Amino acid sequence: MTTIQEREVALVDLIDRLLGGGVVVAGDITLAAADVDLVYVHLRALITSVATAQEKGLLPHMGSAV
Amino acid sequence: MADELARWAGERAPSLLARAEGEALAVLRDALVAAALDRPREGRPPDEPDPPTAKRDPPLAKPGPPPPTGEALWAYGVSRADAPRPEGLSGVVPSAPVTRVEAGELAALVSSVPLAEFAEEPLRRNLNDLTWLGRVARAHEAVLERALSTTAIVPLRLCTIYESEESVREMLEREQDAFVEALEVLDGRQEWGVKLLVDPERLAEEARSRSSEAAALQDELEGRSGGSAYLVRRRLERHVREAASSVAGEVAEQVHARLQDWAIDAVSRRPQNRELSGHEGDMLLNGAYLVEAERVDGFRELVTGLEDRYRSLGARLELTGPWPPYNFVPHGGAAAIA
Repeated sequence: MTTIQEREVALVDLIDRLLGGGVVVAGDITLAAADVDLVYVHLRALITSVATAQEKGLLPHMGSAV
Repeated sequence: MADELARWAGERAPSLLARAEGEALAVLRDALVAAALDRPREGRPPDEPDPPTAKRDPPLAKPGPPPPTGEALWAYGVSRADAPRPEGLSGVVPSAPVTRVEAGELAALVSSVPLAEFAEEPLRRNLNDLTWLGRVARAHEAVLERALSTTAIVPLRLCTIYESEESVREMLEREQDAFVEALEVLDGRQEWGVKLLVDPERLAEEARSRSSEAAALQDELEGRSGGSAYLVRRRLERHVREAASSVAGEVAEQVHARLQDWAIDAVSRRPQNRELSGHEGDMLLNGAYLVEAERVDGFRELVTGLEDRYRSLGARLELTGPWPPYNFVPHGGAAAIA
C-alpha cells in the first residue's frame, strides 16, 4: 500500500478534486464548464510535451511530480 | 569519457530544461488556440475577439481596456460560525491573510485577491498558466486542510470569487440549508482516496488461466500451423483481451464494494488518464470514500488486505488523504480527468 499523507500531491490529483469536486455556488466570478475543460486540454498538452521531451532525453524522468 | 559526458550533461541541464519548457509552452499554446477556435466560449458574442489566452502576443502588446483595479474575495469553504477562527493562515495571495465572513450559523473562509489577477478575463488567462494554477490550487488546498484539522468544512470549487463581504453573506444565506445539512453529514468524517492499479500482463495471465475457452483455443492452436494457426491465435488474443477486461471490471467492483462497506459514503470516479497522472499499470479504480474518523485505521488495514488479496494481479492500492471532502458535498464530485 502506498500512503500519501504528508503529500506532495500530483497536480493532476489536486485539479481533479478542486475543479471536479467541491460545492459549486454562484459567485460574482466563477468558472464556466468550458473553462474547466480548457484547463484539462492545457494540462494534457503540457504533459504530453514533457513526456516527449523525456523520451528524447531532454528531461530527466520526474515520476509523478507533474 | 563517461565523467566528461556527465559533467557536460550537468552543465547543459538547465538550458535543456528551459528549452524543453519552451517547447512545452509552444505545444500548449497551439492546443489552446485549437480549443478556442473549436468551441466559442459560452456567453461570448460572436464578434468579440478570442480571449487573450488564445493569442501569441504578450498581453501588454494588445490594445484593450486597462486591467481592472481593486480587490475581490476568494472563498475557500464554509464551516459553522462557532468553529475556531483561522489564525496565521495565508491565502492564494500570500500577503493576504485568511479571514471569515459570517452569516447566521455559518462562516465562509475568504481572503482578498486583486482583480487585476482574478477578474474574469485575467483569471481565464491565468488558468492556462500551469505554474499559476498549481500555486493557486495548492494554496486553496492548504487553507482547507488547515481548517479541516479543527472543524468540518464544505470545500468550494476553485475560483469562487465575490465582489464584497455583502455578496458572500448573501450566498451563505441563500445556500444556508444545503450547507447546514452538508456539515452535519461531514462532522467527524474524512474523505480518503483509493486507486487500484494492476499490471496489465498479469491481469491477462489471470484472465487466461480462469477461462476454459482460452484453454480450448490454446489446445486448438497446438495442432495447427500457418494461416489457420494465425486465425486461432487472433481469436485467442481477442478472447484473452475481453476476459481481462471483464476480470478488471470484477476486481474493481469487488474492491470498491469492500471499501464502500467500511465507509459512510463512496464515489467511484473515472480512472485517470495515464498521460495526465503518469501512473504505471492500469488504473481500475479511482474511488473516494467518506470514512468515520475513528474507523480510519481499520480502513487502512482493509486497503492493505485488499492489496494482498489481489497480489497475483500485481495490484497496488494507493491511499491518499485525508482530503477536504470535495466528493461528498451537494452537487460535487461529478467529473474526473479522463
